[in-house]
Amino acid sequence: MTTHKFPVEVAALTRVRIDKSPMRLASERFMDNKVALVSMIVLLLIILVSVGAPLLTHFNPNVQNLSNTDAPPSALHLLGTNSEGMDYLSRDLYGGQRDLLIGFSDTIIVLWIGIVLGGIAGYSGGWVDSLVMRVCDFMFNFPFLLLIIILSSIFNTTGVGLLITVIGLTGWPGVTRLIRGLFLNLRQAEFVLAAKMAGAGDLRIIFKHMIPNIMGTLVVTATFQMASIISAEAALSVIGFGVQPPTPTWGNVLSGALDYFTLRTEPWAWLPPALLITLTILCINFIGDGLRDAFDPISSASLKCLPGNSHLQ
Amino acid sequence: MGMYIFRRLLGLIPMLFLITVAVFLMMHAAPGNAFDAILNPGIKDMAALQQRLIESAGLNKPLWWQYVHWLTQFVQGNWGYSFTQHQLVIRLIGPALENTLLLAVMAEMMTLSMGIPVGILQARNPYGKFDYGVSIISFVLFSVPYFILAIFLIYFFAIDLKFFPAQGAVGTGPGAGSFLDHVYHAFLPALAMALVGTTVYSRYTRGTMLDVRHEDYVRTAFAKGLSGSLVFRKHVLRNAMIPIVTQFGYDIGGMVGGTVILEGLFSYQGMGLLTINAVNDRDYPVLMATSLLFAVGVLFGNLVADILYAVVDPRIRYN
Repeated sequence: MTTHKFPVEVAALTRVRIDKSPMRLASERFMDNKVALVSMIVLLLIILVSVGAPLLTHFNPNVQNLSNTDAPPSALHLLGTNSEGMDYLSRDLYGGQRDLLIGFSDTIIVLWIGIVLGGIAGYSGGWVDSLVMRVCDFMFNFPFLLLIIILSSIFNTTGVGLLITVIGLTGWPGVTRLIRGLFLNLRQAEFVLAAKMAGAGDLRIIFKHMIPNIMGTLVVTATFQMASIISAEAALSVIGFGVQPPTPTWGNVLSGALDYFTLRTEPWAWLPPALLITLTILCINFIGDGLRDAFDPISSASLKCLPGNSHLQ
Repeated sequence: MGMYIFRRLLGLIPMLFLITVAVFLMMHAAPGNAFDAILNPGIKDMAALQQRLIESAGLNKPLWWQYVHWLTQFVQGNWGYSFTQHQLVIRLIGPALENTLLLAVMAEMMTLSMGIPVGILQARNPYGKFDYGVSIISFVLFSVPYFILAIFLIYFFAIDLKFFPAQGAVGTGPGAGSFLDHVYHAFLPALAMALVGTTVYSRYTRGTMLDVRHEDYVRTAFAKGLSGSLVFRKHVLRNAMIPIVTQFGYDIGGMVGGTVILEGLFSYQGMGLLTINAVNDRDYPVLMATSLLFAVGVLFGNLVADILYAVVDPRIRYN
């Protein structure tokens, strides 16, 4: 019976292969994943309200109003005000801008460093490879949080830009090691050897043949990276090494509301940033999980594997 | 094996040396020093005092001299004197290390005692209701940053129900400083860590057990006529534990330095809080000591993981 069906299946498979590119197939599989799709929508909403903060609230998040401090939620201040009279709602919304900015730009920085260093190491091998890997080992053995704390105090982290630099400088070893491994495997692949035989240059092989092949892994890695970077921002704020107030980020709005009194009596102060951070990370992880299933349908059983361990643990 | 461990231990020395050099240089690159922040209206000539303190701490000497001086003293067991806390560094490190290790060990015990059984139960009936339920809860718990989990724990168990203290590593009044008092204070931060750790271990246990289940030797064991539970205990579980034991080794590496954020959040007087304060105060001797211990922890954990790997899996040989 199998032999009977076989030609039909081959025909079906070939037709699919001809019709649709791998990217297209992946995006269709992603669209079938309800959880990932809902997460995508929620994340887009969070991005929208953060970016559109000036349209949603007319309070400046940095302006003090000492005659109206620690106010409970009211029609004017929907989430009350903090100990300096700054509007919590506007701080949460504007804080999202900073967090998303940090998340996006650091993901790009980390991936970029990872692709360049890991790519060079994996592609060329030899002493370059061992040099890059020794540096990675050193960074892995170096207590990560210590490094980031000391770097923050060197740069006297007060602004968003410096925090982005600090996280970008410390976050790359994991991604570099991953990409190096991928390149190392691909280097021996038949299509790379074929490209080499056809006379393609190194850059052409890397950009036209190898990178498209690891694109799926890169996209998945990028999402999980972004989740852990947003978590890192908040964690650093909690121990006092994040972006300094009055510039709002979710992390420092949260850490500014962690004294006993505020925790007990003003849940509107700490609950929204805590939920926003959690929800954002949860959505990103679900999207990452969906993307992984979409790019790699063979090994996937949804929820079988959780995202890679965040580097703060 | 003994030779292997010896070689690995020797290999740690250059790495530790590099790490101390890096910490030392970065630390001195940070602006300000420990004596900038002295506030005492009774002191008439502040500049002269600061100058004297800087000289007595050796901070006016060239950097290489300071490093060599620190290193020679350190290997002789003289870890220095804290610039701001007026204590021998070793006296500060002792109790802090005890607190941190207590917290980490408690968290690890909770993690293992919850994570592995849950994973085993999941693997017994994969793709069933329990499995899916736990998987979804794990995914959500894993996505919540553990310090936010800790904030919720503080809110419910410390502030609302008043079961546990919200802050500190020791209490006040009679019984303060006893072992039970320490355990009581470490419980909430340990639970926050353990909840996240549990998700990692349960997933890991479930995955490896499902992998092992389809091995040939398991089929052989069934074919011999062994009972299901016997095969499960003696063949599946034992082999599934191999990667888990390795993971445990890596956990040991994180024990000294893995609780920094929770210690900051709970004002728990451990290595993390000591380090945070030392960085803020530019208290170089304390910072050098804590960062060295963090690094030793990580390297030691990696070594233990590799050794454990060979111990539980006789197929692995290092030579």
